[in-house]
Amino acid sequence: MRKILVVEDDPILRETYEIILSTQPYACDFAENGSVAWEKCHSNDYDLILLDIMMPVMSGIEFLEQVKAEQDIVSKIILMSNLSAGKELERAKTLGVNKHVLKSDMSPSQLISLIRYEFEA
Amino acid sequence: MTDKRLPATASAAAQLRHEHRKTLSELERYKMLVENVQDYAIFFMDPEGYIQTWNKGAEKNKGYTHDEIVGKHFSLFYSEQDNLDNKPARELEIAKRVGRVEDEDWRIRKDGSKFWANVVITALYDDDGTLQGFAKVTRNLTERKENEDRLKNANVILQEKQIELKRLNESKDDFISLASHQLRTPATAIKQLLGLIIEGFEGQVPENILKIAQKTYESNERQIAIVNSLLKVAQIDSGKVVLQLETTDLNEIIRSLIAQYNGIIADRGQVISLALQDAPVFGYVDEEYYRMALENILDNASKYTEDGGVLSITSSIVDDRAIITITDTGVGISPENMATLFEKFNRIPNDLSHKVPGSGLGLYWAQKVIDLHHGTIKVESTPDVGTTFTISVSRGV
Repeated sequence: MRKILVVEDDPILRETYEIILSTQPYACDFAENGSVAWEKCHSNDYDLILLDIMMPVMSGIEFLEQVKAEQDIVSKIILMSNLSAGKELERAKTLGVNKHVLKSDMSPSQLISLIRYEFEA
Repeated sequence: MTDKRLPATASAAAQLRHEHRKTLSELERYKMLVENVQDYAIFFMDPEGYIQTWNKGAEKNKGYTHDEIVGKHFSLFYSEQDNLDNKPARELEIAKRVGRVEDEDWRIRKDGSKFWANVVITALYDDDGTLQGFAKVTRNLTERKENEDRLKNANVILQEKQIELKRLNESKDDFISLASHQLRTPATAIKQLLGLIIEGFEGQVPENILKIAQKTYESNERQIAIVNSLLKVAQIDSGKVVLQLETTDLNEIIRSLIAQYNGIIADRGQVISLALQDAPVFGYVDEEYYRMALENILDNASKYTEDGGVLSITSSIVDDRAIITITDTGVGISPENMATLFEKFNRIPNDLSHKVPGSGLGLYWAQKVIDLHHGTIKVESTPDVGTTFTISVSRGV
């Protein structure tokens, strides 16, 4: 079974993703910031990480910087934020993410399509 | 009579004046000239700087009468600091060496008040090369100086205000950006949660509940669209948009736009009539931004056209321009509303504006984007007949 880590600080959104993804044949894990995600990444091998950018404690950017520096995480990473422009997004795109999507653009079925597409690609 | 007498009288007067002038020697005339000039202080100083003569201009500017000042040293007109710095002696020294010295600075009047003076001191040598003294000509330029200072101060204030405005504008942009991003988070949650019901994740839902969920979903979509528009406008207003211009077939952009839009237009019972030039219409555009600008104009045309109307799109090359027209059979724009059509947050009142949602940002943004392309948008409209938008950009090479 494919393993997915969702990194999202907003508790309602986290819970919503949990409901949506529970309908799919994936093993899902959740983290509320980059730091928790970083720890989880070292005890699990995720096939895909859905990563928010603006989070407390450790942002998505800082998480990506650590991933890049240590080079021991091979998961695919999709940025899923509500930033559509700005320095943070530009920086994130230079840190080797596979894709960036706008959270507010996606309905539940679109989110599922996105994940399926990424696994099939 | 009068005509004859006048010239005779005038001629007699001229003759008299001539006689009188003849009685004055050249020296007397010079004396008269210098003594009576009012706008310049002109006086003679001996080689040590002691004042020998005094004219009306000097009295007017400096406040001393002839008797009060003759015999006094000219350093009297300099400030205490200038005297401590030995400025009067230095100026005489320079004049002696190079013939003249010019200075613009504050000088002191008899009553202690200051005036801004332009001073020229000229060394006067006789035929044997012996220094006889100095001529000092002083002009009061206080008014000019004050105007210059006022202008300088106004410029400083203007520059400060400009910096302040720039800062305020940036902070406004940051605020819009931050607020909009924050607004997207709850809107995303609503979209996902309602999506679970609408898209069938929660199984069969009663029809009435589904309808409510759908309406709420649509409303939330509108909110997301407004936030997106605000962010797009904030970004273009901040001047941070940099276009990636490439030669692109505008026909292809229109075809893909129609493919995306057909459903919405069909839902409104509207028909799209395409009259694209057979050969590609290459324009020098940023595909993403240009497409969004056209989308805004097309969306606008569709929204302000009654159900069942026709939207016509043409493409062509005219000289060095790639031209797209979008024509609708809609409510049209009255001449008085035409002037404000592209203004930010402007929504023109008409039969349909209370029915269709809009933020009043779409055309503003489209105009900004076409401006960045160095292109133009022209609008021709007849109320109740329809409107044509003509979008012209540079032709691709």
